[in-house]
Amino acid sequence: MPVRAIVRRTLGLAWVVPALVLVGVFVYLPLVQNLQFSTLEWDIYSGSQEYIGLDNYRKLLDDPVFWTSFGNNLLYAVISIAFQVFGALVLAALIESIRSERWRRGLRAVYFLPSAISLTVAGLLFYFLYEPNLGPLNHLLRSAGLGELAQAWLGQESTAMTAIIAMSQWQGFGYSTLLFAVAIQRIPADVYGAAAIDGVGPVGRFVHVTLPLVREMTGLMAIVTVSGAFQVFNEVMVMTGGGPNNSTQVLGTWLYRSGFVRNNFGYAAAIATVLFVITLGIALLQLWFTRRRRVEW
Amino acid sequence: MVSRLSFLGVIARVFMWAFLLGLAVVVVYPLLWMVINGFKTNAELFGNPFALPVDWSFDNYRKAWNRGVSDYLTTSVLVTVTSTIATVFVSAWAAYGLTRVDIPLNRTVTALILGGLMLAPTVALVPLVKMFQAMGLYNSFWALLILYTAFRIPFTTFLIRAYMIDLPREVDEAAEMDGAGRWTAFWRITLPMCKPIITSTVLLHILFAWNEYLFAMVFTSGSGVQTLPVGLTSLMSKHGTEFPVVFAGMVIAAVPVVLLFFLGQRYIVRGLADGIGK
Amino acid sequence: MRPRALTTFAAIVGTSVLALAGCAGEPAAKAPAADIAAAPEFSGTLSVLTKFAGDPLSSYFEDIAAEYQRMHPGVKVELIQETDQSIKDKTKTLTASDALPDIYFTWTGNWAENFVRGGRAADLTQVIGPDTPWGRTFGKAALSAFAYDGKYYGVPLYNNGKFMGYNKAAFDKAGIKVPATFEELLAACAPLREAGYEPVTFGNKDGWPALHYLQQLFAYTVPSATLKADFSPKTATLDHPGYVAALKQFKTLVDTCTDTRDGTNGVLYSSAQEKFLNGKAAMYYQEVLEFANVTDKRELTPENFGIFPLPVPQGAGGDPKAIEGAPEGYLINARSPRVALAVDFMKFVTSQENAEKLSAAPYGQPSTVVGAVTAETSGKAVFEGIGMVNQASQLAVWLDTVTVPEVADAWLAGGEALISGSATPEKVLESVRQASASAK
Repeated sequence: MPVRAIVRRTLGLAWVVPALVLVGVFVYLPLVQNLQFSTLEWDIYSGSQEYIGLDNYRKLLDDPVFWTSFGNNLLYAVISIAFQVFGALVLAALIESIRSERWRRGLRAVYFLPSAISLTVAGLLFYFLYEPNLGPLNHLLRSAGLGELAQAWLGQESTAMTAIIAMSQWQGFGYSTLLFAVAIQRIPADVYGAAAIDGVGPVGRFVHVTLPLVREMTGLMAIVTVSGAFQVFNEVMVMTGGGPNNSTQVLGTWLYRSGFVRNNFGYAAAIATVLFVITLGIALLQLWFTRRRRVEW
Repeated sequence: MVSRLSFLGVIARVFMWAFLLGLAVVVVYPLLWMVINGFKTNAELFGNPFALPVDWSFDNYRKAWNRGVSDYLTTSVLVTVTSTIATVFVSAWAAYGLTRVDIPLNRTVTALILGGLMLAPTVALVPLVKMFQAMGLYNSFWALLILYTAFRIPFTTFLIRAYMIDLPREVDEAAEMDGAGRWTAFWRITLPMCKPIITSTVLLHILFAWNEYLFAMVFTSGSGVQTLPVGLTSLMSKHGTEFPVVFAGMVIAAVPVVLLFFLGQRYIVRGLADGIGK
Repeated sequence: MRPRALTTFAAIVGTSVLALAGCAGEPAAKAPAADIAAAPEFSGTLSVLTKFAGDPLSSYFEDIAAEYQRMHPGVKVELIQETDQSIKDKTKTLTASDALPDIYFTWTGNWAENFVRGGRAADLTQVIGPDTPWGRTFGKAALSAFAYDGKYYGVPLYNNGKFMGYNKAAFDKAGIKVPATFEELLAACAPLREAGYEPVTFGNKDGWPALHYLQQLFAYTVPSATLKADFSPKTATLDHPGYVAALKQFKTLVDTCTDTRDGTNGVLYSSAQEKFLNGKAAMYYQEVLEFANVTDKRELTPENFGIFPLPVPQGAGGDPKAIEGAPEGYLINARSPRVALAVDFMKFVTSQENAEKLSAAPYGQPSTVVGAVTAETSGKAVFEGIGMVNQASQLAVWLDTVTVPEVADAWLAGGEALISGSATPEKVLESVRQASASAK
C-alpha cells in the first residue's frame, strides 16, 4: 500500500478518537484500576495503601451483609421480571386490543409518566406515602378497616425491601409496557386477521399469536431488567439508605457504604468487581441472545 | 349461544376497563398528591393526607426556589445541555467514522466503543473518585460533564451507528465525487439524514442527565455544583420538617422532563425501542 | 456487535488489565507544613465546610464570611454548608478524594483522631494551646477535647449535650413529676398516653438517634474505664454485663413509651421533633443545639419547655453523673496553603462578639468561649443545659464518632435491629464484638 494511502487511512481515525479516548479513560481504565484497588487495604485519612492479596474477597464471602445485598438484588430481579416483563406484556396486549387510537395513546402515556420523573423524586414521594405519621397508605388501610396492616413500611426489616421494590415497579412498568406495545404494533395486522377468521378468541390470540411473536422482545426485556436490578442504587439511597439493620442493602449501596462511610475502599472495590462480573455476564447473555435472534429472522 | 358469548365479552370488557383505569389512578394519584402537597401548610400535611389545601398559594414553591432549587435547576440545565451536546456530537462523529470512513482496525474500535455498554457505572466509582481528585476536577461541573458524556457515548453511538448503516451510501458518495471533503459530507448530508435518530438520542440523553443520581451524589458537594436530584435530598435534610417545601421542589424537578416527554414522545419511544431491540 | 468483535473486545480488556494492574496507584504526597503562626496573607479563597446548613443556622457563617470579606477585600470565603445528617458522608467523600477544604467541621473522639493520624489536621498548639492568648479565651475542657498526645488541633466552637426535653403542660395534665429514675420514666408513659400524648417521640430513620440513647445508658451502666477501653478495637472486650442491661432498657423504652414502637426506624428524626414542637408528644430526647427550635410561634412555648438528663436506671454500675455530649469544633487542613489565613478567620469566628451572637437566639449554640453563655443572652434552657454539661463528672462522647467507623456502623445496624425486634440485645452485642475484632 502506498504511504499516502496508509496516512490517509490513519487520519480517518480522527473521527473515532474523541469517543475512544473518553470511553477508554473514564470507562475502561477505572475498571482495570478497580481490580488493583480490590487487593489493597486503603486508609482514606492517611492515604496509605497496603497490598493484601485476595483478603478483601475472602472477607466478602464471610460478610452477611454482602449476602443480604446480593439476595436483595436477586429479589429485585425476580419481582421486576414478574411485573415489568410479564405484567407489562399482558398490559401492553390489553392496551393494543383497544380500538380507539386516542385511548391507546393516552393510556400508554399515562403509564409511562412515572418513568419520566427521576428515581429520586419517585423515591422521596414514596418515602412520604409510606411514612407512618403523614403517609396516605396507612390512612387508606385504616379507613378500609385494615388498620392492623398499617405499619412503618420502610421502618420494618420485613417490609422495607418489598416497599422499595414496589415503588420501583410503579416507576418502571410503564416503560416496559411502552416497549412491548411497540413490539406488538410491529406484528403484521394480517396475522391477527387470519387468527380472527379461524375463530380464535382474544385470550387464544394472545397465547397463540402475540406471545410467540414477541418472544424475542420478552427475552431481551428480561435480560435488561435483571441487569438493571443489579445496578439498583438511587431509590435505596433515597428511601432507606440501606437500613434498617442493613435489611435493604443492595450491592451498589453496600459498595458505597463500605468505601465512603466505613472507610474501606479496598473492600468496596472488591464488591465492585463482583458487580462487574455479574453485569458483564448478563450483557454477554444479551449479546448471544441478539445474535441468535438475528439468525432466526 | 351467540348472546351468551357476547355477554361474557361485555363482562370481560368491563373488567378490562376497570383494571386499566384503576391502574391509571394508581399511577396518577401519587403524582397528584405530590403536586397538591406543594400547596399545603405543614399542619395540613400532618393532618388529613387526602384533604385539599385551604389556600392555594405558591408560597412553598417560592420558598423552595429561594432555598437552593434555583441553583440546582441552573446546574442541572447547564450539565444537561452541555453533556447532551458533547455526547451527541462525539457519538455522531464516531458513528460516521465507523460506518463511512475506511479506518484501520474498524472492528476493534467498534468493539471497544460499544463494549462500554456492558459496564455498570457503579463498578468504576472508587477509581473515578481517585482519578478526578488527581485531576483536580472533583466537585466541579466538569466532573459531571465528562462522566455523563463518557458513560453515554457507547449507547448513543450504538443508536446512531445502527441508523447510519441503514442509510443509502450513494448520496454521500456522490457528494464526495463532487469534491466535497468528508467533513462537509458529514455536516451537510449524513447528519441531516440522521435527524430522527439524533432527536431520539438527544431526548434520551436529557432524560438521563436530568435524573442521574449516583455520580451527582458522589462527585459534587456545595450548592454551586449540585444538580436537582442531589439537591432535593439536601433540601429534605436541611429544612427539617418543612415537607411542603420539599414537595414543591420535587414538582419543580419533575415538570420539565414530563413536559419534554409529552412533546417528544414519538422520538423517545423510537429511541428506546431501537436501543433494546436492534 | 458481531461475534468476532466480541472476541477482540475480550482480548483487549484482558491485555489492558494485565498491563495496567502493575502500574496504578501511588501514595498521596504530603505537602510541606505551612507556618501556622505566620502573619496571614489576606488574599485568595478560603474554603470552609460547616455543619450549619438550613434555617436558622446557615446565616451564622454567611454573615461572618460577609463581614470578614468586608474587612479583607482580597479574601473570598467559600462556604460548603452541610447538615448533621449529611456532613458525615460528605466529609468522608471529600477526604477520600483529597478535596478537604481549608477549614472543616469535626466531632471529638475517633472522628477527629482520624484526621490527626492521617496528617490532615494542622497542629495548632502554638496558637491555641491553653497558655496562648487565643487559647485562654476557651474553656479548658473544650480545648483538651481536641488534644492528642499533648498537641492541640481543634478550634472548639460550641458545647453540646443530650437531654430529655419535656412539655410541662403535658406533665401537669398527666399529673406526673420529672422522673428521678429510668424506671420512673417508663412508669410515666402510661399516664401520659392516657392524657392524650405520645409519651416519647422518637425517629430513628437514620440510625444515629438510637445511639444517643445507648451511649448515655452505657455511661450509666458500664464503668467508665471499661467503656473507654471498649471504644478502641485494640483493647476492646465488650463483655461487661452493663451493655446487655442498657440495650434491654432501651428496647423497653421504645416499646413502652413511643407510639411508633418497632416501626420507629421508619420515622425521621425531624418528624419526631415536629410532633414534640406541635405539642402532641410529651418528651423528646434532644441536643442542647436543638433547644433553639422551641419558640413562641409553636404550640410548645419556651415557658412550657423543660429539660432533665436521661434518668439513671436503678442499680446501674457506671457513672451516674456522666452526661452524653461533647464540644464540636473545626480543624484546619494541614495541607492547605493558607493555614495562617485560616487561623485568622477562626480567631474572628470565635471573637467574644461572634461567640455571644452564636450563643443567642436564633442560633442558640452555646459557645465554648468563656463568658459567652449567660442566662440573658442564650435563653433559659440552653443556659441550664450547658450548666449541667459543665458540672458533669465526665462527658460521654457520641457513640458513632468516638469509635472507629466499622464499629460505629455495627452499632448503627444493631440499634435498628433492636428496635425492629430482629435481634436480641445479646446478638446485637455479639455483632459489634465481631466488627470490633475485625477492625483490630
